[in-house]
Amino acid sequence: MEERNPILSIKNLVVNYGAIQALKGASLDVYPGEIVAVIGANGAGKSTMMNAIMGVVKRACGEVFLDGEPLAEKSYQVVKAGVSLAPEGRNVFAPLTVMENLQMGAFPLSNRKVIATELEKVFTLFPRLKERTSQYAGTLSGGEQQMLAIGRAMMAKPRVLLLDEPSLGLAPIIINEIFAELTEINQLFGIAMLVVEQNARKALMLSNRAYVLQTGNIILEGKSSELLHNPEIEAAYLCGKKK
Amino acid sequence: MDIIQQIINGLSIGSVYALIAVGYSLVYSVLLFSNFAHGGFLVIGGYICYFALRSGGMNIWVASFAALIGAGVSAVLVERFAYRPIRERTPVTLYMLIASMGMSIVIENIFVVTIGGRFRALPPVIPMEPVNVFGLATTSAFDLLSLATAVVFLIGLQLFLVKTKWGLAIRAASYNLKTAGLMGVNVNRLIAIVFFVAGLLAAVGGIFLSARYTLYPQLGSMITTKAFVAAVLGGLGSLPGAVIGSLILGLAEMLTAGFISSQFRDLVVFGILIITLIMRPTGLFGKSVGEKV
Ligand SMILES: Nc1ncnc2c1ncn2[C@@H]1O[C@H](COP(=O)(O)OP(=O)(O)OP(=O)(O)O)[C@@H](O)[C@H]1O
Ligand SMILES: [Mg+2]
Repeated sequence: MEERNPILSIKNLVVNYGAIQALKGASLDVYPGEIVAVIGANGAGKSTMMNAIMGVVKRACGEVFLDGEPLAEKSYQVVKAGVSLAPEGRNVFAPLTVMENLQMGAFPLSNRKVIATELEKVFTLFPRLKERTSQYAGTLSGGEQQMLAIGRAMMAKPRVLLLDEPSLGLAPIIINEIFAELTEINQLFGIAMLVVEQNARKALMLSNRAYVLQTGNIILEGKSSELLHNPEIEAAYLCGKKK
Repeated sequence: MDIIQQIINGLSIGSVYALIAVGYSLVYSVLLFSNFAHGGFLVIGGYICYFALRSGGMNIWVASFAALIGAGVSAVLVERFAYRPIRERTPVTLYMLIASMGMSIVIENIFVVTIGGRFRALPPVIPMEPVNVFGLATTSAFDLLSLATAVVFLIGLQLFLVKTKWGLAIRAASYNLKTAGLMGVNVNRLIAIVFFVAGLLAAVGGIFLSARYTLYPQLGSMITTKAFVAAVLGGLGSLPGAVIGSLILGLAEMLTAGFISSQFRDLVVFGILIITLIMRPTGLFGKSVGEKV
């Protein structure tokens, strides 16, 4: 995998919030077809990294490349270029219906046929959304809202899908279901993914490679299967033995 | 005094307030600040119409069209040069509120300085003759026309919001602007569209108000206050709320003027505001008690 060119590449990314430096020169690569995880504790800077890629927060230093080309800095251009995000806390549009939420996800697309195809894909992956097209998003369960947030991000037909804590606040059984769908999205459609998680074990089991982010710095990277058995990681992020 | 006539009058003036309150509420719902310069757009529309009719010799259709476009464009320019620099620097919306108070004074004074502060009457281009409503009451053609026009524009707004892609984006943005941006919406363009629509609707209201009463530079601030009261009554940020609040306000004004005395009219307006804030601060359709004003 390493010989190919990365589809998404972050180089020395620095983000400041006033005097606080939330990212201190983080670099990472995502190769085509890969699932990459970033694990880290609360406040490590994971969401900041996602928001900096999406152009929601300003990049003070460093660069982001999509397919070797510098990625635009404005959110709407980033989405148009092929990177979309299922944000932390899901942020579905509560007063809009499931269908309207998905239509919002397809905002950058104009070809109706393409939109219909993407919609079909999302409904195949998440049949529960198909049953609820006219339900208000605010009345969905947490798990369904997460499915909607992922489906909505897929509607933009991204080349790289970013996911910020897809397991947040969900029951283990729903987490398993959602992570199984993520694997399917990756394998079926070959979409590369960058997943940010506090649930390190799940993230490492899902991903091919992973980075460990600690207070704004990448301190470790490697194959997920190896990191899963790394004693340091085990002690700091996996809290004891696997069940 | 005929009660049915007063009710028609009240609905007529209320529907004109609704055009103004709806735009004001739309801006509030997306940017979460009270745009006190909103009434300025109405005055701009009114003066464009006035001069197009008086000096330009245009007919009312062309003059109104120019007024709507002119007010819409002015609203976009106010946003672009007074509010956007602020919102790009800080998430604190209080600064935009203060800037809007400034813009309201600026717009008012531009008119005072350039054309003077005197009261002007629109030429009699909108029919005023009495009309008999199903033998039940007598009202003026003007009242019915302004009611019908307001309804047409409000339905148009509703269709725009429900049927079009940008309408959907505006509804999404009024729930969460930042997330709408993550969907690939050019947020600056969306806000420009919102201001254009708000300015355009205000101008429709402005033309009818300046035909009903008279046109003068301070008309804007007076009407902004009424739109604010109507929007608070209906629930800030809620469009149906703004319409219902405006109708209630219009009815209250006309019934007070008709049955008590027109001197009590403004007292009733502020009475309604105070009672709403005490009894039900979220308004009739409001959701959360957040930072308002
Ligand atoms: N808008 C902001 N203004 C100021 N500081 C911020 C802002 N957003 C984040 N921070 C700070 O930046 C640091 C990184 O925050 P970030 O949200 O990226 O962490 P995270 O890794 O996503 O944490 P979590 O797992 O809790 O979501 C934290 O110290 C946080 O307090
Ligand atoms: Mg986070």
